[in-house]
Amino acid sequence: MTGVIGNRAARVGGVEIVTGNARYVGDLTFPDMLTGALLYPDLSPARILRIDATEARRLPGVVAVLTHADVPGLNRIAYSDVEDQPLLVSEFAQYQGDAIAAVAALDEASARAALAAIEVDLELLEGVFDPVEAMRPGARRVWPDRSNVHEHLVIERGDVEAGFATADVIIEGEYTTQLIEQAFLEPEGAVATLDADGAVVVYASCQSPHRDRRQIAVALGIPENRVRVITPYVGGAFGGKDEVHVQIHAALLAQATGRPVRLIRSREESIRTHVKRHPIRVRHKLGATNDGRITAIQVEAIGDTGPYVNAGEEVMSVLAATASGPYNIPAARIDAFTVLTHNPICGAMRGFGIPQGTFAGERQLDKLSRKLGIDPLELRLLNGLGTGTVLPTGAIIREGRPMKACLEGAADNSGWRERDDTQREPAPHLRRGWGLAATIFTVGFGRNVPDSAGVNLEMIPDGTAILRTGAADMGQGAHTALAQIAAEELGIELGAVRVVKPDTERTPDAGPASASRTTFVSGNATRRAAAVIRESLLEAAATLTGLPEGELHLGGGYVHATGERVTTVAEAAAAAKNANLPLHADGFYAMEFPEKYREGDYPYQHQVFTFGTQVARVLVDIETGRVTVEELTLAQDAGRVINPDGAMGQLEGGAAMGLGYALIEELKVVGGRTVNNSLESYLIPTSLDLPPMSVGLVEIPEPMAPFGAKGIGEATLTPTAPAIANAVADAVGASIDDLPLSPERVLAALEGGSS
Amino acid sequence: MDEFEFLVNGVAHIVEADPRRTLLSVLREDLGLTGAKEGCGQGDCGSCVVVMDGLAVNSCLVYAGQAEGADIVTVEGLAQGDELHPLQKEFVDRWAFQCGFCTPGMLMTAYAFLSENPRPEAEQVRKAIAGNLCRCTNYRNIVEAVTAAAMKVSRS
Amino acid sequence: MTEVPATASPADYAAPATIGEALRLLSADPTNMVIAGGTDLIPATRAGTERPGVLVDLRRLPLNDITVEQDRVRLGARATFTDILSSPDLAREYPALHTAAAQVGGPPIRNRATIGGNLVHASPAADGAPPLLVYDATVVLLGPAGRREVPLTAFFEGPGRTVRQPSEIVTEIWMPRPTGPTVSAFAKLGPRLAMAVSIVCVAVRLSGAGLDSVDECRVALGAVAPTPIRAEDAEKTIVARGLTADSVARASIEAAEASAPIDDLRGTAAYRRRMVRVVVERMLDDLARKLTGAATDG
Repeated sequence: MTGVIGNRAARVGGVEIVTGNARYVGDLTFPDMLTGALLYPDLSPARILRIDATEARRLPGVVAVLTHADVPGLNRIAYSDVEDQPLLVSEFAQYQGDAIAAVAALDEASARAALAAIEVDLELLEGVFDPVEAMRPGARRVWPDRSNVHEHLVIERGDVEAGFATADVIIEGEYTTQLIEQAFLEPEGAVATLDADGAVVVYASCQSPHRDRRQIAVALGIPENRVRVITPYVGGAFGGKDEVHVQIHAALLAQATGRPVRLIRSREESIRTHVKRHPIRVRHKLGATNDGRITAIQVEAIGDTGPYVNAGEEVMSVLAATASGPYNIPAARIDAFTVLTHNPICGAMRGFGIPQGTFAGERQLDKLSRKLGIDPLELRLLNGLGTGTVLPTGAIIREGRPMKACLEGAADNSGWRERDDTQREPAPHLRRGWGLAATIFTVGFGRNVPDSAGVNLEMIPDGTAILRTGAADMGQGAHTALAQIAAEELGIELGAVRVVKPDTERTPDAGPASASRTTFVSGNATRRAAAVIRESLLEAAATLTGLPEGELHLGGGYVHATGERVTTVAEAAAAAKNANLPLHADGFYAMEFPEKYREGDYPYQHQVFTFGTQVARVLVDIETGRVTVEELTLAQDAGRVINPDGAMGQLEGGAAMGLGYALIEELKVVGGRTVNNSLESYLIPTSLDLPPMSVGLVEIPEPMAPFGAKGIGEATLTPTAPAIANAVADAVGASIDDLPLSPERVLAALEGGSS
Repeated sequence: MDEFEFLVNGVAHIVEADPRRTLLSVLREDLGLTGAKEGCGQGDCGSCVVVMDGLAVNSCLVYAGQAEGADIVTVEGLAQGDELHPLQKEFVDRWAFQCGFCTPGMLMTAYAFLSENPRPEAEQVRKAIAGNLCRCTNYRNIVEAVTAAAMKVSRS
Repeated sequence: MTEVPATASPADYAAPATIGEALRLLSADPTNMVIAGGTDLIPATRAGTERPGVLVDLRRLPLNDITVEQDRVRLGARATFTDILSSPDLAREYPALHTAAAQVGGPPIRNRATIGGNLVHASPAADGAPPLLVYDATVVLLGPAGRREVPLTAFFEGPGRTVRQPSEIVTEIWMPRPTGPTVSAFAKLGPRLAMAVSIVCVAVRLSGAGLDSVDECRVALGAVAPTPIRAEDAEKTIVARGLTADSVARASIEAAEASAPIDDLRGTAAYRRRMVRVVVERMLDDLARKLTGAATDG
């Protein structure tokens, strides 16, 4: 064994990052490069009466001004099935982030002058800003020809009425979560250039290079093989760079001018435009017997997705599919509404609907716990799912042990059972409380959704290897994990694997880096590619050494037999090459669904899940309403950890984002327009805002996963906010059901008002 | 255009620039030193921090005119040839970043801090980096990397 | 539709070597502006909310010294918050200012932002102002018509507005040194623990021989009125009645009544007013204990 998997490893690209040599898209320059910029509406929603770029086009330094009429192909962002978002709007400016015109100029000042010189007449329209109001019959419509309820999804299983009838107690609650900004540190950007043959090359800070390629080609009206998307270093994404942002605009400008164009969003523009985490109102009804067994739930979720659907349907689908949490609940009905408004668009952001649903579900369990006088941990252990549990989607849990292992792990590491009531009032104005929350998270896109990845792996006779992956590494460490998998299988050191970043002309399509799927899907693809080469290496080594193939093992750059080094992997590779054995291979993997689809199953069900539990200990200042998290304890099911540092970083970082979600983050919207469009006013946690975290990993390998490893980067954010909310409720004996848990809400709750 | 002379990473540069362009822009566009990043353009994130006359500054909040004659160190100036600075080594070894976009600014804040505080406590480090946002980590590994690097710097 | 570019030519920037030259440049045009640290002015210029003509950079002028004299301490207007934090004299005799300086922005901001700029920018939430108010600071201005001194209490006119004329330069701020036993403190409630604009900030100074003989009380509030303010009723109550549970409670209510906050992103007016009371009460309680100690030690 090489021990590459599960052991500490140098991060791929780490040295480039610390030396400043890592090139992000904004760091790229090309000869004759122009500066691109986009014009946004001052008013929204609005009807566009006139766009006149005549003056702007005449300004010195301005090379091109494009409006909707200048889009040669489809003037749509073809991100999801619903292609409703124009690249450059013509009729309506539905929200603050709609682009009206695109400019390319010699420098930034000229570009800005051009934007200022474009004449736009807008007629402000009455907006639809409240999703609940928007659902009412006769409500004003966001689109003249479409219902405001874009989709009403129902998942039902078991006899819900009977479930509530047998219940001794019913808990009903209404929960709201806020609009959340991605706040990746690198605003979106793209640089588009033309190849010698006129093909368009786009460097993009993105998560889905191959999907970007298709969208660019469709908009430019050219074959997809004349578009090349390259992903350099990406400064964080979290889902917000899963859609296209400025890639197509940059490509249109490059196509129009014949020159390279760099288009980088400012922070204000970034917040104005890209998708957020949905604000969702969840009504939750839960029935249980006096001994604590949940008999039924009924959940209604209303998600405000803005004027364009983007990934709204999918987010609501994932919320609905996981609304029963990590519990064995015999009867459930879930109604999820994707609602259009004129608010900022929402879509993919770390968690993808599960944080919102979990906040409601885990608050409900705590209320049940309080009502029945059963400890929150015991209640969750009692109802916790296990192997064989059937979820409302019809998915059967194939490996359920991690669920309770996480509960027990977090309880043990936090001293849950030893919490000391004498510490509840450390000062006259302070109250201490403990809260716990558990979650289920899905891996992959779900049944009936394309979910595959390819890689190309090449072993070189000098003992090194090249891994070509179309999977983007936005900081989550995917490339290191994939390189570790390749190194392990080829029996070489991690440092001997060079990773080629996504480049649609050089790397196979790996699908989007989203849905906690990269380690799983691309990891399996890497294993499959490596298996072909490994076979060549072993066969050649057998010939070389005269030993039977079955006795040979690869590891650490050597071929071993009965514990002895018999030759090197490099020599085996050279021998394989001379013997005409394949040393490079494509690996392809598509998500598998071993359980057959049964009548009544949710067609987009998942079959691979991760579980997690977090415990928060908080102090509440009952005079200021301020909540201080003293400690967070995390227990996360990872299947198997490929890289301990990477896993730890994802877990802690996710919880940090979860803490921001719980306490301080909220993108505020007035009349459809965000008002805190800066990092001075939209606040994410600083180094002083985060508590000590204790992290425990539960490793029960997932049989279908590469080395058993599952994605954990999203799951880790999910339990944090409900754990903190439950701790606050425990501390002050009052319930806060709306995020964030702001000081003012805490004071209102203390005074008995609803939050 | 005015001519400005700065010392950047020990090398004197004469730059012809509008005095009201930011130091960040001059470093990135004119000198090709793209290590310092623009994350917000108004001093809220710290991604653009460089060390100017020994102090960590947001280079997006310094005009070229204000930096005239200054001694500037950027992330590109930390390593000595191929030999990484202890801060860089510890950041890599301890995975003190994920996406890496905040890292150059974080390193330069830490570099200036360590020159004044050779043996800091973790709490001092947390305060020192409070002006540098990271959206990926919970800062623990950054604090540990700075503290560990301090031991090496003060020993050497 | 969007921000207008900040056009600039070399003539738009000057770093004069003498204060006379600086004053001459400033007087040449009312749009000409002083730049000190630039931490407020540069982003405002970028956003188009400020459109300065010639920028007059004070960096060559010796206005950054912190000088301790017999009966006062003088802060050069260009002293940064880092300079203030680095001064043991200020930490000892003006702890409220020291504490406030530690909570302005983060280290890179504190390395550039100046005390003079903080006052001239005149944000209602300027953390530097309440401490200077409780230390009875005076602002020194130099202009074409000569030098004048303005008590800080008379310096602010409204958000972003002060009595400074566009042709004047704030050169220094001075504070009398404490004579008898004195205690003081600063506290801030912000939406997060660093890099945050205050929801409420409070400075308090008590001078006197003991709980029942407070000679001077100063209570100053930030972020709860169009300008940083003193809560004079609260001050009078403490001086008149000494530091008792009742007087502290009453003064805290009076401080809250003195505030005139607004609703904004960071908090509602009602919350702010309520927090004034909580923070002032805690601070008075805390300082009362310290004053007992200080008077005994003294």
